[in-house]
Amino acid sequence: MVTDSCLVASVESESCFHCGEPVPTGALFKIEISGESRNMCCPGCLAVAGMIASSGLENFYQQRTAYSERPDASEPVNAEQYLIYDQPELAERFSQQETNGDVTARLLLGGITCAACTWLIEQTLSQVAGVQQAAVNLQQSRLDIRFDPRELKASEIFARVEALGYRPQPFQISARREQLRQEYRSDLRRLAVAGFGMMQVGMFAVALHAGDIQGIQEQYQGLLRGFSLLVSSFIVYYSAGTFFRTAWRHLKQGALVMDLPVALAIGLAWLASAWATVTGTGQVYFDSVVMFTFFLLLGRFLEARVRQRHAMTWFDAESTLPDAVRVRQEDGWASVARSQLERGDTLLIQAGQTVPADARICSGQSAVREDTFNGEHLPRSVVPGDIIYAGTVNVEAALEADVQGSYAESRLAALQRSVEVAETEKPKLAKMADRIASWFVAGILLVTSTTAIVWWQIAPEQALWVSLSVLVISCPCALALATPAALTSAASALRAAGVIVRGENALETLSRTTHLLFDKTGTLTQGTLVIHKVLPLAQLTEAEILKRCAGLQHWSNHPVSRAFAAIDEPEDFTEVNYRVGAGLEGCYDGNTYRMGSENFCRQLCPSLPPLPEQPFYWVALCQNTTPIAWIGLNDQLRTEAPEVIATAIAGGLQVGLLTGDSSPQGPLLARQLGIKDVHTGLEPQQKMQRVQVLQSNNAVVAMVGDGLNDAPVLSLADTSFAVAGATDLARAQADFVIVGGDLGAVTDTWHKAKACRKIILQNFAWALGYNLSAIPLAATGHIPPWAAAIGMSLSSLLVVANSLRLNRRRHNQEN
Amino acid sequence: MDSLYLLIPVALVLVALGIKLLLWAIDNGQYDDLDKEAWRILADDQASTNKNDKARENNDD
Repeated sequence: MVTDSCLVASVESESCFHCGEPVPTGALFKIEISGESRNMCCPGCLAVAGMIASSGLENFYQQRTAYSERPDASEPVNAEQYLIYDQPELAERFSQQETNGDVTARLLLGGITCAACTWLIEQTLSQVAGVQQAAVNLQQSRLDIRFDPRELKASEIFARVEALGYRPQPFQISARREQLRQEYRSDLRRLAVAGFGMMQVGMFAVALHAGDIQGIQEQYQGLLRGFSLLVSSFIVYYSAGTFFRTAWRHLKQGALVMDLPVALAIGLAWLASAWATVTGTGQVYFDSVVMFTFFLLLGRFLEARVRQRHAMTWFDAESTLPDAVRVRQEDGWASVARSQLERGDTLLIQAGQTVPADARICSGQSAVREDTFNGEHLPRSVVPGDIIYAGTVNVEAALEADVQGSYAESRLAALQRSVEVAETEKPKLAKMADRIASWFVAGILLVTSTTAIVWWQIAPEQALWVSLSVLVISCPCALALATPAALTSAASALRAAGVIVRGENALETLSRTTHLLFDKTGTLTQGTLVIHKVLPLAQLTEAEILKRCAGLQHWSNHPVSRAFAAIDEPEDFTEVNYRVGAGLEGCYDGNTYRMGSENFCRQLCPSLPPLPEQPFYWVALCQNTTPIAWIGLNDQLRTEAPEVIATAIAGGLQVGLLTGDSSPQGPLLARQLGIKDVHTGLEPQQKMQRVQVLQSNNAVVAMVGDGLNDAPVLSLADTSFAVAGATDLARAQADFVIVGGDLGAVTDTWHKAKACRKIILQNFAWALGYNLSAIPLAATGHIPPWAAAIGMSLSSLLVVANSLRLNRRRHNQEN
Repeated sequence: MDSLYLLIPVALVLVALGIKLLLWAIDNGQYDDLDKEAWRILADDQASTNKNDKARENNDD
């Protein structure tokens, strides 16, 4: 019953009820929501769903239109890390005191996927004592909250929001974001004024057209024309001014864009009508002028809204770093703001925390997960003397390290800079509409001047009016709407299918893609290790072995241990000892067990057989001197990946693999999938070079990735996809963000882009065809103004209706 | 028909008022989040019972 009203909850039991990712086999995370038992994929989703259900907000699951994001379980909710925001100097950056003692604060929320998220957050927060008002702005992912600081601390708000599975951080005003907001509002103002004006002028026009047909006294015709002139002058100045400015700006650079014919048509039709009104001769086209302005602004407004809705320009690499850090001072460890760190400070980095600055380890041993730079989830072991980098995650044990330099000097900042460089180097393909526009403008001017010259020979007094009517009839309304209407329609269809379109011109570019490149870990694969193979070496069943493994791994927070987290009834081990970089040792039933690397286990049990040959990540388990099993772990391929690759290859795309992983896994996976072009062990900059080489050979490259390390290459590629679970920075760079867990969306989007291109071409064909057939009639002086107005509206409606076909469900499957 | 000379200016004044109101609403931020408002008008009803229960339990102000 619940699933009926829920747009996204699928009936299949394999996908997680909260985030939509597939539930790993054997995982048992169940929770009762609205009286039905639901499967979850991980402890993170379980915790968030439990929190939502226990606050009585199950309605969220019925209301939402997109799956929630999968919360990161490796970094448990830790209210302490937010305490830093209670300090006045940090608090004043995002909050301010009202006169009555209340505090208003603005937080930026990561992970908001649909309107129901805003409801969930608002409902939860408004139940907290001390909160006066909480409002979430969906378009900006921003929470505005007013609270009483005597009852509630800012840090508690952060912790509450995080418990719901969103990622809060202080909202900082950026110039770019302010500018987007201003543009949005001025677009809306122009549109509103044009709408009102259109209704007024339309009213006058009905009277004038009726007068044309059944006769009208000259004084009233003059009156109506006069008021039409007044209103439409205001509209042309206020609403259509933007077309003139854009056209002029491009014309100065020698480019003919779609705005030029638009500005010409509006300007000349208005001028001619104004002349007719003042002199009391000829014909007026005021209604066409304002209607044209309104329709165009509407089309552009909708197109911009689809894009801006998911603009994420404010996520940068620095926002992944923690704001609060532990630093050694004379009297022990103290929390300070990261911005106050100086070279030479000694940091304390607990297991599970993100390293806040490039630093040299001075004591402690651990492993750091460097997926920021290489995309891999298996950590690198580090010992005193090693450098650890800002943005990597310390996974095993606490470390003390000396800060090596400021953020600007860090490797992470270099990554952010290459993202920005890539953005400027991204090849800009000219828009189809603009390419057609340049031909169109030239054609129209040619026809108009020919008409004028011919009529000058025949009847000089008619020449001006006939050539004007040619210009107005050829008014490129349908032509100008052809692209925005199709793009908006395709984007909203994709949105319903779980793909957010963000990049400008992205659909058009995608339809011309020649090369499709994939990242490996997290993109083609799940990005987490799962148990792939158990090789028993003693008289124990697989289930018994796994229960013992789970009992030991329970004590570790190495990524390997997560593969065992889903096993039921782990055995109870005592005296468990964790050896960083080696494995675990513990007692069960009076025997000593070791689990971990080959060397570590061989020390206890010399008879351990050699490492199996298959290229898995192998861990051994032994009991005293008896080897018990080899357990092979593997990063599992996404189930839909082979089909996606096959579809892409069948569709004529060149498919390639660019991975930061240098292990034999990459080539193996590629062979399995049929990918021929494989590059392994690539740094982020090397990935960019690969793409640049392809682009210099005129390839149009689409890149699919997920990690921070993919951000520069996503930004450089002609079009790019960020898959589910991608980092914020990767999402911010990608043209398409896949919200659901299905990689198949890549090829579906590609098909949709091609369908969209087809529709745009049809629209152009119709608009040009209409103009071509109407121009001869106008050139011979056979079209009155009312027929021109009707023709223009009908032709535009047809273009819009044709574009709406993109929004039909199951369009892809039919094709 | 002479009433046109009065009625049309009156209509224009009304339109000017309407435009002014709308521009005020836009600048006031009332149209900043079209998606959410469209959705919220439907959602609040279902939530209200839920919220009231909770409010009675939790809210002490």
